[in-house]
Amino acid sequence: MSRALGIEARDRRRAMLLTAPALVWTLVFFVLPFALMAAISLWQATATGMIRTWSLDNYTAFFTRPAYLGAALNSIEITVTVTVLSVLLAYPMAWIIAEEVPRRYQRLALTLAVIPFWTSYIVRSYAWSLVLSRKGVVNDWLAGWGLPLLDLANSRAAVVIGFTHFFTMLLVLTIYASLVQLPPNLRRAAADLGAGPVAIFRHVVLPLTLPGVMVGAFLTFALCIGDYVTPQILGGGKDLALPQLVMLQVGRRADLPMASALSIVLMALVTLAYLAMARWMKEPGK
Amino acid sequence: MKKTLTLLAALAGTTFWTTAALAQDELNALVWCDHTDDALIKPFEEAHNVKVNLKEYEGTGQALSILAQSKPGDWDVLVIDGIDVRRAVEANILAPLPTDQLPYDTMFPEMVMADQQVIDGKTYAISEKFGYNTVSFNSDTVKATDMADMTKLWSGDFKGRIAVYDYYLPVIGMVAMGLGMKTADLTLADLPKIEDALMKLKDSAASVGEVVSSQTALATGAVDILFGGGEWVTAGLHAENPNLDWIMPEQGAVRWSQSIGVVAGAKHPDMALEFVKYILSPEGQARLATSSCYWGMPTNKAAGDVLTADQKVALRWDDQPSYLARAQLYPAPDAALDQAMQDMWTRFLAH
Amino acid sequence: MIRFAVSATYMALIYAFIFLPVYVLVLFSFQDGRFPIPPFKGFSLRWHQAVLSDGHLMAALGHSFVVAVLSSAVSLLLGFLAARGLAHARLRGAGVARGLITAPLSVSYLVIGLGLLASFNLANVPLSLMTVTLGHVVINAPLCFAICASAMGAPQLAAERAARDLGAGEIRVMALVTAPMILPALVAAFLLSMTFSWDEFIIAFLLSRFDVTLPVELWSLLRSGLNPKTNAIGSLVFLVSAFAVLAAELALRRRA
Repeated sequence: MSRALGIEARDRRRAMLLTAPALVWTLVFFVLPFALMAAISLWQATATGMIRTWSLDNYTAFFTRPAYLGAALNSIEITVTVTVLSVLLAYPMAWIIAEEVPRRYQRLALTLAVIPFWTSYIVRSYAWSLVLSRKGVVNDWLAGWGLPLLDLANSRAAVVIGFTHFFTMLLVLTIYASLVQLPPNLRRAAADLGAGPVAIFRHVVLPLTLPGVMVGAFLTFALCIGDYVTPQILGGGKDLALPQLVMLQVGRRADLPMASALSIVLMALVTLAYLAMARWMKEPGK
Repeated sequence: MKKTLTLLAALAGTTFWTTAALAQDELNALVWCDHTDDALIKPFEEAHNVKVNLKEYEGTGQALSILAQSKPGDWDVLVIDGIDVRRAVEANILAPLPTDQLPYDTMFPEMVMADQQVIDGKTYAISEKFGYNTVSFNSDTVKATDMADMTKLWSGDFKGRIAVYDYYLPVIGMVAMGLGMKTADLTLADLPKIEDALMKLKDSAASVGEVVSSQTALATGAVDILFGGGEWVTAGLHAENPNLDWIMPEQGAVRWSQSIGVVAGAKHPDMALEFVKYILSPEGQARLATSSCYWGMPTNKAAGDVLTADQKVALRWDDQPSYLARAQLYPAPDAALDQAMQDMWTRFLAH
Repeated sequence: MIRFAVSATYMALIYAFIFLPVYVLVLFSFQDGRFPIPPFKGFSLRWHQAVLSDGHLMAALGHSFVVAVLSSAVSLLLGFLAARGLAHARLRGAGVARGLITAPLSVSYLVIGLGLLASFNLANVPLSLMTVTLGHVVINAPLCFAICASAMGAPQLAAERAARDLGAGEIRVMALVTAPMILPALVAAFLLSMTFSWDEFIIAFLLSRFDVTLPVELWSLLRSGLNPKTNAIGSLVFLVSAFAVLAAELALRRRA
């Protein structure tokens, strides 16, 4: 009895020792900086730095300046569009790979679908700007077939295309993972009970893979709304996204308090999305 | 596996810490991208057996905040907008220069800029490069005569064919000049009129972007006009795209100029001064003028002996007297006006 | 048959979409002219040569590699230890610890970078590749933790207990029992960390000073003008990493 307790205490101490480095690291280099940023967001910028007077001025500014509020709205619109489009494009692709492609070629098909991950993220956005430009490849082909040219470069459409490209690859992976986890006999059972392919999909496959899709969609939302590179390279300064506004404060105005306040707003948006997803997952019947 | 790890550790060690060990032979410079060209820096490094560490920045605000967050001695050389020298001096960032060692006698007289650079009888910086923010265009698709009146550009005649350079000071300055204002006299009261024209310009704009996206848009035919462009956009492309041209409209244009100075409290003030002297020498000036990031006129006329005839044509060496006479400086706003201008620019971007 | 045709067409279209930018990137890196856009003027290696002789780019490649290896190694160590610690004892607050360690996963890199930048400024820590490495550990340690934690289960527990009963010390147990048993997960975590660090821009941009990583150098290359050189470095890096990925895949398959 006492020996067992001794082992348990020793186990606990060992567990704490092993976890401590990661915990300390997280506290020092993640929690502290975040707390500092929250504090700074309540300070004010001066010509050469900041003063530590506490106020909500930066947040008031966010809600009263149409350009700032507009940037948040732009970001939300772009992100939601991208998330929906990517899921719609990726789900059938993942489905085809999981169901139609012979098992031994599935890995190859998946690898092929994510190979462009290994081009640099920045270079990929840049490549899209080349593809979509007025004299770019897409218009070159359209002209060759005598079709009207598209003006896609430097626009919100270009941002959405660039993002959708990246997140379709990501979602094919995550959705495929949840599709292959389905036990095959479940579908067979449904078929034996007389369900057609559409009914099987609607009542069996979709509900069971939806949690995986939701997690992928949340990941897409979180990564997309926080990204600076894609809107900066592909957006053509047409409408500002929230991360661009943050970087304007850092790069041009040296206004760290405002940048911090906007970052907190960004975090709040991601948290809201997370809560929405968590709540949806908890709902009975889902 | 162990061997690979040791090798990696050694590699990491050399990259991370050798620089610290060689600190006495280093010069730290906060600069614009045109100074990062090896063709410019390597000759100096070899001649003086020194390593020049370069950090690029985009706007004066960013440079001032980097400097405010640095320890004394972190920086030796600063390249800064000509009109912002006074701000830097007031923040005790720059040290006085020995004017007798610098080539003031062969400089373009307009580029001496004593108003900006001499404070209480001491000179704190020297102009090193200049040019114009004006109107670049594609001469295959747009007539130069149509570009002569700047107000035409926000009249709606060129809807969807204009790219705007994404930097608030020169573009606000240009619009102000187009409206008949003087860039040096701008006040808060002038901003509503300027904003009105800016928003109309945005309505006509196909894109607002930094150098590369503006250049791309123009060179690839996505737009025909670049508002805020100039020789610094087109000169480097001239050889392959002779149809890319620029013009100074009747209302004039904004002159940009960069100055270089030694940072107060520099660890290596003598080497920093050597660097400034090198940049102002005819060879340094010619290399800086044709640097890979962007081209621009040298301030020292003696560079004319080093530049090739083609380079001088691309820089429009012979037209400088007329350009200089018609151009005005960047607006030099105080803190409050600067805030208001940046806010206006944010609205412009979001419009 | 119709179903097959529809599936095949859909797959072809998605692959075309996915590969379009890569195709354009690689094709125009061989452009014999100043602009990486149509028409393709002929085949030339001059931009690839320009990349290989560009000191800044080559230095940035080296920096990126070192930062990726160092940050992944530290991340893996932190993540592995924590995963093992939390996998075993029923610790009070284990859920909180788990949540805390994985929290950075859902926070935008921009926000993490800004927070670290503000902290380093306040603490007077000069920016360098070390601060970049540190930032990359913040984003990669939770990833390594999650991967390691999901690979640990009852079989390790039993094997570890057996090893301990035979008198093996704690470090030996971890090195000789736990690590080999979850080796695929360790390798996967390390490689994924490498990939993330290698490609990470905004943290590296905010936290570096003179020495920069490849994405930051690419960013300034982009800002300095339209140039097939950007295509060339992009294609070279892509080909090398795609090759590495395939090699790793083959190696893992042979082991399995």
